[in-house]
Amino acid sequence: MNLKQQFDVIVIGGGHAGTEAATAAARAGANTLLLTHNIETLGQMSCNPSIGGIGKGHLVKEIDALGGVMARAIDQAGIQFRILNSSKGAAVRATRAQADRILYKQAVRTILENQENLTLFQEAVDDLMLENDHVVGVITQTGLKIKAKTVVLTAGTFLDGKIHIGQNNYRGGRAGDPPSIALAQRLRGYNLRVGRLKTGTPPRIDGRTVDFSVLGVQAGDDPVPVFSFMGDRSEHPRQIPCHIAYTNEKTAQIIRDNLGLSAMYSGNIEGIGPRYCPSIEDKIVRFADKLSHQVFIEPEGLNTHELYPNGLSTSLPFEVQVDFIRSMKGFENAHLLRPGYAIEYDFFDPRDLKPSLETKQIHGLFFAGQINGTTGYEEAAAQGLIAGLNAARKAQDKLSWTPRRDEAYIGVLIDDLITRGTLEPYRMFTSRAEYRLLLREDNADLRLTAIGRDLSLVDDHRWQSFCTKRDSVIIETERLKKLWVSPVSELVHSVNAILEKPLLKDQNALDLLRRPEINYAQLMSVDCFAPGVTDEKVAEQVEIQAKYSGYIDRQEQDIEKQRRYEELMIPDDFTYNGISGLSNELQQKLTQIRPTTVAMAMRMPGMTPAATSLLLVHLKKRQKIMNVA
Amino acid sequence: MPHLQTQDTITAIATAAGRGGIGIVRVSGPLTKHIAQKILKTVPTPRQVHTTKFYAADGSIIDDGIALYFVAPHSFTGEDVLELQGHGGAIVLDQVLKRTIEGGARLARPGEFSERAFLNDKIDLTQAEAIADLIDASSEQAARAAMRSLQGEFSKKINHLVEQLIHLRTYVEASIDFPEEEIDFLSDGKVQQQVEQIKTQLTDVLAAAQQGVLLKDGITVVIAGKPNAGKSSLLNCLSERDSAIVTEVAGTTRDVLREHIQIDGLPLHILDTAGLRHSEDLVEQEGIRRAWLEISKADLILLVIDSTDNEINNADYFEKNYSDIFALNKPIIIVFNKIDLSGTCNVPLHASLSLSAKTGAGLPELKQAIKKLVGFQPHNENNFLARRRHLDALERAQNYLQQGSIQLTEQRAGELLAEDLRQAQNCLNEITGEFTSDDLLGRIFSSFCIGK
Repeated sequence: MNLKQQFDVIVIGGGHAGTEAATAAARAGANTLLLTHNIETLGQMSCNPSIGGIGKGHLVKEIDALGGVMARAIDQAGIQFRILNSSKGAAVRATRAQADRILYKQAVRTILENQENLTLFQEAVDDLMLENDHVVGVITQTGLKIKAKTVVLTAGTFLDGKIHIGQNNYRGGRAGDPPSIALAQRLRGYNLRVGRLKTGTPPRIDGRTVDFSVLGVQAGDDPVPVFSFMGDRSEHPRQIPCHIAYTNEKTAQIIRDNLGLSAMYSGNIEGIGPRYCPSIEDKIVRFADKLSHQVFIEPEGLNTHELYPNGLSTSLPFEVQVDFIRSMKGFENAHLLRPGYAIEYDFFDPRDLKPSLETKQIHGLFFAGQINGTTGYEEAAAQGLIAGLNAARKAQDKLSWTPRRDEAYIGVLIDDLITRGTLEPYRMFTSRAEYRLLLREDNADLRLTAIGRDLSLVDDHRWQSFCTKRDSVIIETERLKKLWVSPVSELVHSVNAILEKPLLKDQNALDLLRRPEINYAQLMSVDCFAPGVTDEKVAEQVEIQAKYSGYIDRQEQDIEKQRRYEELMIPDDFTYNGISGLSNELQQKLTQIRPTTVAMAMRMPGMTPAATSLLLVHLKKRQKIMNVA
Repeated sequence: MPHLQTQDTITAIATAAGRGGIGIVRVSGPLTKHIAQKILKTVPTPRQVHTTKFYAADGSIIDDGIALYFVAPHSFTGEDVLELQGHGGAIVLDQVLKRTIEGGARLARPGEFSERAFLNDKIDLTQAEAIADLIDASSEQAARAAMRSLQGEFSKKINHLVEQLIHLRTYVEASIDFPEEEIDFLSDGKVQQQVEQIKTQLTDVLAAAQQGVLLKDGITVVIAGKPNAGKSSLLNCLSERDSAIVTEVAGTTRDVLREHIQIDGLPLHILDTAGLRHSEDLVEQEGIRRAWLEISKADLILLVIDSTDNEINNADYFEKNYSDIFALNKPIIIVFNKIDLSGTCNVPLHASLSLSAKTGAGLPELKQAIKKLVGFQPHNENNFLARRRHLDALERAQNYLQQGSIQLTEQRAGELLAEDLRQAQNCLNEITGEFTSDDLLGRIFSSFCIGK
């Protein structure tokens, strides 16, 4: 490797954002360098050993549809797979997998090491090289200067990280890793708005000291789900179950008695924690009438006894952690391998970012992951992919790309961040997506893979496989549309046999598939509709599209109405000051956020239809003046 | 900037409310032709005056009038435009407006026709500021402000309804986003029951809103006072016709007389009542009893005093004569009548004015006072139009609830119900203010212990 050369893109950080950023940039054809303070921790899962879940699984499938790393890695590392919400409709079903941490890291590293255009290098970064407002490279801890056209920073919780256990606190980026203090201090000097957030993690437990016989068992699904559109069950390692334990009144009592010693409750923490992932202290205090809380006991891997008690994040002193863990049934003799802790870290106000995730203040500098105020591997990875892609495209003098809210959860995530900012670590939920019925796990490839192909993110293998599936869905749907049954025909008896209400008028097979009691397999059990397709993914897609068709049409109409505003660009130098009728507050907000499109402006808090009208009139006025000039 | 053709169709009453004579409803946008077909049963030849009937959905005739149809881009806004000019008053006009909404248009915001004209290059640059002024961002708060100003019951009902809907959504959305948490999710049956409850409530609110005094029936104004104070003259004067028999004889009016009039578009029911006095005459007694019945039901009382009566200068005059009327705690305007005889009357009381029902002097001031007292402003987004916006939002919310309910029963699909509930809430938000997905998440986190 020649560090004297100029790279197109440098990615700082090797977590979930960093690995997606580096591989996306490299796939897009940019000569890319990934810098991490420790190559051994590439793809490290620093909190819970799982990938996916509601909203998050959706993100993973989208990353996969764009050729990303996460789904492929978890398919090789997942030790328990489940589909959540399987009893509900397809739009809200989501895949979740427990991971073997070691296998996951290995899978990520293998992908990175085999990625064309990508160089790995172990060295912490202390500073950025700037020329005017442009980033031109980085300076490492040992003083190496490495040049690049663009830089993606994915520093996670490492920026000025501070770990709290009880009354003690120390500086750290993650238990066992150093924080990035020098870089944090440099960045604070760049006129970017900085805030402070908090998150926490539970203590880890030695499985040999736990009595599993008294715990509930939660097995994975059968057949075992697969994450990647290119994945296969045969890639999965051995599957093992999770367990469920419960806190009791004694647990609550111990926690209540020691509340004053919790870092959270003694006022040592200034950062804001997430509402949806409270510490056990918080749960006991806020939901005092709940006598027992459920704890998911998740294995950390196949070759370790370490357990992750999901739901017990805490910043109580270590001795108290030992006491309350041992108060739970089955944990009377538990040995704690590592203490739980709370961590505070810097984040940058994401409203200072463009949709491409480039900072507005420093050209060529992109931010992705937890430093933008998000939480979760999936949220980080999604941003990493977009930041890496756009860093590459900027280096190549190409226009940036960010999915719209109606195209992907990734679009919802980024749009929420840059238009609304966040007060707590931001996590994805399906209720954040107004087009939830369109943004499904099952159609992530249909939504994104063709776009990904245009952006050079998707390789030939995936593209071929995708085209086959896409075409089969279309062909099968058309076939079903042409298969008509009449209530007076001979065929009707065999059809009525599978229906709750007999056929009353002429209907085609697709109409029948819309009925709630009918699935694709049942339909194909009727001779006149058989044989149908054998690819279960194709069959599933045909069925889901049929079931949701009315709502899909409605949401697509909404999108169509919105589209003209999405396409209406607001020039960078447009001035909001002095637009009479717009409140001062709104003028300020618009000036600060600088929405790139009218649609984005409309989504800002406080914008009203009348304010949008004023904006349109003034945009038009400006255009007319320019035409005259 | 692209040409703005493919967008919503908008509709509005284009004449200042109730300027008497002709009322105009104007429609602009891609659905205009379709709407013309629905209301006129034909599409008029562009740029020609058509005398025509306006039809209701059931085929009955709402009004006779004139229709003008313009095809894009040769119209005021640059889009397809339909103008319906009718003769009817505010209520008829409102029915025509409602028909255009049924046809797919939505109510225009203030200044929106001019905005479109400007965006479509129909108005030149010099007028940009004037148009911006029309769009005054504060005006859209008017609908909400109007709701708050409306007397308690309607507003209370809407808020209760929204609260119920949020409560249900909290459960429905939590069950989707947090299936692994220990939440006592509502059973499908329970959800169904709550959807039905909300639907019933919405129907009630709609009914209440539709019967809203301002919109449908106008407000009820009762003219009361002593015999021979000139109550009937005032009725005739306000209604501009001789409905009531006017004589010099005290106690001429025995029964309650009703007139329907409009003041600048504000519909009023005016009731003239028998003079209040002690009477031995059986017929008159019955008249007085009826008068009291109407007074007790009035939205507004015009208490007519004969300004030539010397007694009015006594300090305890009102106390002695009208304490039972004041005890009703209703809005009252005290009208000192017959100033043509008494000369200018020194108006001694706050909510009072003087006039002559005979000459009409002081009548404009009385009309002004009535409008002011009921919060009616004909030139701005008034309560009347605000009500129409409310009704429109409520009706759309009702449609979504109806669909959601079907999804739950027939398709057993919680996520489709969730979508319809979200849309229903968006409609109600137009009345009560924004409620974001993040607000909903906040409700979920404060209601349930989430935290796997």
